[in-house]
Order: sequence, then structure tokens, then C-alpha cells
Amino acid sequence: MLGDPPFVEDAAAVRAAMEYYAEQGWTDGLPVVPVTESYLAEFLASVDRDPGDVLLDMPQLNRSLTVRLAAINAALAGCLPLYFPVVVAAWESLAAEGYPVRGIWQSTTGTAPFLIVNGPVRERIGLNSSGNVFGSGFRANATIGRAIRLGVLNAFGLRPHELDQATQGTPAKYTFCIGENEEESPWPGLHVDFGLSSGDSAVTAVVIRSCVHIEARHTRVPEQLATDIAGTISRTGALIHETISAAVVLSPEHARLFSTAGWSKDDIRSFLYSHAVVSWSKLAAAGKEAVSSKTRWRLPSDHPDALPVAASGGMVRVLNSPEAVLVVVAGAGNSGVSAVVETFGPRGGPPPVTRVRL
Amino acid sequence: MADGILLERAGLPAVSICTDPFALTARAMASAYGFPGFEYVSIPHPVASLTVLEIRSRVRDLMPDLLRILGVE
Repeated sequence: MLGDPPFVEDAAAVRAAMEYYAEQGWTDGLPVVPVTESYLAEFLASVDRDPGDVLLDMPQLNRSLTVRLAAINAALAGCLPLYFPVVVAAWESLAAEGYPVRGIWQSTTGTAPFLIVNGPVRERIGLNSSGNVFGSGFRANATIGRAIRLGVLNAFGLRPHELDQATQGTPAKYTFCIGENEEESPWPGLHVDFGLSSGDSAVTAVVIRSCVHIEARHTRVPEQLATDIAGTISRTGALIHETISAAVVLSPEHARLFSTAGWSKDDIRSFLYSHAVVSWSKLAAAGKEAVSSKTRWRLPSDHPDALPVAASGGMVRVLNSPEAVLVVVAGAGNSGVSAVVETFGPRGGPPPVTRVRL
Repeated sequence: MADGILLERAGLPAVSICTDPFALTARAMASAYGFPGFEYVSIPHPVASLTVLEIRSRVRDLMPDLLRILGVE
């Protein structure tokens, strides 16, 4: 047994503060860290930003998140001041991503932000990019994602049973923040793919719904592995719109399998675009073979809003372009296990890679 | 709710329609827009999977409430 720590006389006061914050509803359900003005100042000093700068604006709610509000919620979440430049970049990336500003966080779909961090800042703050990368155990991963969630709850008031109408939501609503495993990746990092240098640090934020894993320990054939991934992307349950999008998070073993065979990330994206298909009859069996003229949502071809279906046969692509797929490397180099993170909605064009200003 | 409130404020009579499970959110949104007492019509859930005939029946059922809120005599 450890002896009493030196601060034990303050513990009751700390607990009382935590309970007070919980009573005010300033939490995601877990205890939060009490925040004082002096502690807040340490966060604000870590960035060259005016505390009043707006990072994300939701005009439909008449509410905005400022740098000061982002800092308060990062401190509540248990971030160290050192992490705050990453939190600020995450908010900027989410603003550029587009779906949150258009109100997706009030939707029944129940999405959450997925944060991908690249560059030297990962090591500086101890952000996990290898084993158990989607799991628990690392303060930076746990609290940076949580800083966003608490900001959504406290600054925008998007609370469950109130303005957050998620039918089920996703566990990613607690936190979903990973580092890319650049050290074990055969390719340049995601941020380098989109114009930054390897010495830069960056956050790329995408709104997601689900994270589906792929077991493929049996193969060394890139087409087999890519077909397995394509089959996961093209499941009918994910199709609300005409097409979907995906972030493919490859383990280092799978990334090396592709690169050894001479495949680039763009080769993977092109293959997935061509092979993430579902048969018309399978779509029809699920009642999703047509698209609404009003919402572009999938529905049966006998629905009054259904656009005429071009052909009642053949295969239907579920991605609108190779750009609808992001390829990221993360996890341990110990097995042939990867994941498809189902990013929300149709996508194309470059992702919102946002430089961390350290 | 937001659309209904904004239309009313722009001088266009409007009635928002929600399904019953959205009651809490409807009130929260009305409060966010500074109009906590904004009157709206609540109807049974669901709507998205109904047929045209079922939709027409829902509309017939909600018309009295809708006209009352609009102030139609």
C-alpha cells in the first residue's frame, strides 16, 4: 500500500469541486478536472491566439466556440496545457470539415469526430499511434478527443435528450483521437500527402459513425486484402445516402503487404473505388436500390420520391470517387488486423489537414 | 422548429411539425431561439417509412391543430 499522498488534505475540496461540476452538467458523465483562472492561463499561453477568436460557429444555434471556451473544456477534459495547440487545430479542422457547421451533431445519425494527428507533436505529447490505438491507456488520446466532446456539450449545449438527437450515438463520442504510425508506415504521412512537410504537425478531423474491424492474417496477396476491405466498405447497412466514404486505418503489417507489392496509397484508393460495389439485387433485397429525388437518400424503387433506376441489375459502386477514401497507418506491427472507419456522408476532395501551430 | 420560428419572425405564418419523440429537442431548440413557448404540432412516430396513404391520413389528423395554431377560423 502507498502512504497518503502529500495533498490528501485537499482531496475533499477537489472532490467537492468535481461533484459541483457534475451537478452543473458540465461533464460527459465522467468526472472532470476543476479549472481555475491561473490554470486556464497556462492553456491560453500555449497558443498564439486571442482568447476571443472564434474557432467554430454554429449560426443555427446562435452559439460559437472561442479559444477561451476551447481551453476551459480542454482543461476540464484532463488535457495538459502542452496538448492545447493540438486541440485548437482539431477545432479548426472540424470547422473546415463542414458537417458540424451544417448541424450534423444534432442529427439522429449520431456522429462523432475522429481526429488523426501527424508529425513530431505526437512524440512531444505522448500520443499513441501503435498498439491499442483505438483503445484506452494514453492521456493525450483520451483527453484531446474528450476536449472536443466537452466543448460540444458545454459551449454549444448539444446534450443528449436535448439538442443532440442521436438515436444511439457511438462510443467515439467519448473520445476518438489517434496518431498515425508514421514510424512503421512505408509511405509518407497523411499530412504530407496533402501538402505539409514531414516536420510539420497536423490534425485531420473527420466526422464518423462507426469503426469496423477487418481480420486478414491469412494472405500476402494485395488484391485479396483490398477485396476484404472493399467488402467491408460496401455493406448495405452503412448506406443512407447514394454513396458513402471511408477512412481505412491499416495496421503496419497490412500497409507493408501493399507497399511490398508496389502499391501506393493512391493505388489502394483506386482499387477500393472500383471494387467497393454491391449487387443491385442485394440492394433491392434491402430496399435501397433507388435514390430519393429530394434527399438523395436510398429507398426502394417503388417509393414515390424514387428517381428512375438506370438498370435493374449489375453492380453498384458505393464510393463516388477514389478521393472518398482516406488511407492512414496506425496500430501495432503484430498482426494482420485493420479497420474501416465509416466517415459520414459522401465525400471527395482533400480532407481538412490542419497544421498545429506550436 | 428553427425554420418555423424564423418564418414567423420574418412575418410569414408558420407551424412546425415534429414527431412525438422529438418533444424534448423541439422545446430545447425553441428555447435556443428565445421562443420557449413556440407552439407546434406533434404527431406519432415514425414518418419516414410510411406509405403515401398513411402520410395523407397523418396530415388529415393534424390539420385541426395546425389550423388552430395558425389562427384560421
